[in-house]
Amino acid sequence: MLTEECHMNPYLESFGIEVIDTDLGERIIQLAGQPPSHIVVPAIHLKKEEVGDLFHEKIGTEAGASDPTYLTRAARVHLREQFLSADAAMTGVNMAIADKGAVVVCTNEGNADMGANLPKLQLHSMGIDKVVPNIDAAGLLLRMLARNATGQLSTTYSSFYRGPKEDGEMHIIIVDNGRTKMMQDKILAESLKCIRCGGCLNTCPVYRRSGGHSYNYTIPGPIGIAVGAQRDDTNSLAWACTLCCSCSFVCPTKVPLAKIIAHHRRIKAENHQLPYGKEKYMPLVGKLMGNETLFNCSMSIARTSLKYLPNSLLKPFAGAWGKYRELPVAPNSSFETWYKKHRS
Amino acid sequence: MSSKQAILQALSTTALSDNAMPVINIPARLDDLLSQFETSLNTVTATLHRDGGLTGLQAEIDKLSSEGKQIISLVDGVTGNREVPADPHELHDIDYAIIKGHVGVAENGCIWVNNESVGHRVTPFICENLLIVLAAEDVCANMHIAVQKVEIASGQFGTFISGPSKTADIEQSLVVGAHGACSLNVYLV
Repeated sequence: MLTEECHMNPYLESFGIEVIDTDLGERIIQLAGQPPSHIVVPAIHLKKEEVGDLFHEKIGTEAGASDPTYLTRAARVHLREQFLSADAAMTGVNMAIADKGAVVVCTNEGNADMGANLPKLQLHSMGIDKVVPNIDAAGLLLRMLARNATGQLSTTYSSFYRGPKEDGEMHIIIVDNGRTKMMQDKILAESLKCIRCGGCLNTCPVYRRSGGHSYNYTIPGPIGIAVGAQRDDTNSLAWACTLCCSCSFVCPTKVPLAKIIAHHRRIKAENHQLPYGKEKYMPLVGKLMGNETLFNCSMSIARTSLKYLPNSLLKPFAGAWGKYRELPVAPNSSFETWYKKHRS
Repeated sequence: MSSKQAILQALSTTALSDNAMPVINIPARLDDLLSQFETSLNTVTATLHRDGGLTGLQAEIDKLSSEGKQIISLVDGVTGNREVPADPHELHDIDYAIIKGHVGVAENGCIWVNNESVGHRVTPFICENLLIVLAAEDVCANMHIAVQKVEIASGQFGTFISGPSKTADIEQSLVVGAHGACSLNVYLV
């Protein structure tokens, strides 16, 4: 994820270096020329038939084959050649243990370890937020990571590197890229507790409906909004959320995602970065809804209009909402009137 | 100012207060660790061989060897039919690798192996099938205990292995056998 955040692959390629992603999902989207749509399952948006067609074209699998086992094994054979001929390997880091100077890399496929342990040069890149104080902390987080990512007991391989292989070289690249700036804000800083399990994506009603690419940021879902909204030039990302708080409840490291997302909205408003509509009409809507008389009057007008005015006249007011929906049937009276009649 | 200095300076003025490392005190489930371990291994599609020990393992190896399989053993008392090569790339055609595990974790089937027990670091990943020999008394209850037992000296490498490699990157269907070993058998001694 970090190399995607920093656009590392295009940079390396500009120097004539061939970069091959080795996680199966990452390799699929690399061959397809697409960005990831999920942080744990990058190619979750593709059907097996689409992967089959892609592999047929790029790595010569049988035409029309779509069996996941067959396709995975074909990728295993294809990527083995790459592992055996690579000059360097670069992995991400799940945890960096401060008092040992070790990095922990977790995979289910074994691609990080196949990569790092064959060529002489091994590189590990990480954000500063991956540092944990000691091995006890790493043990605790290892218990949480896979359980919340895929429901597994543990990732298949949780590898601790505290130095290179014999005659090898090991480099750890530590990246800030805006993280220390987030730490200046108490609420935003909480998002750096994330261990990237993807639990918040899996539970998010907006993510589940719209998919990862709609966020237009490397990391989608609630955590993507939390760490990406500040870089969002459209100033709309923070509103791709219903504030249902499901993510805050499932997060194993207790990142208060909904609170952070609401905070991003506040920051955008305070910096006058709201889109035109929100900046201009929302204060008016607020005033209207805050005033009982005004609110009751306008509701009364709406009920009467819905009852007597033709659809063709009213529909345009519904905007995009009304594109695939009928206007509601107006009730005879307000809820308040109904309540007073029946309860008092 | 170097980028490292810039990061360290920025870190000195954050809005966060220092927190002491919390005490991790999570009660461990201690009943019948070996059965727990076996259940966990089954869950991660690995197999535990409780009986037979090294003799049983050697008999299995001899059978595989007679079938023409390429076998490398890094465990004393078990012999394969290949030597540890100078270049790790030459391990690419190994069918079976036998290595020693140091710590087993009952709650999740993890087994700790380190570079002293694997020859080349890539051995447990590059082989088609992995066999781990583990002493029954080295099985502990959970990860909190396990990380206290493992030792990673400066310059070392170690890994927790929980079953064979797997992936669910195509339509979330589980496929065992991704880039690492395609099967894992654990022999208790």
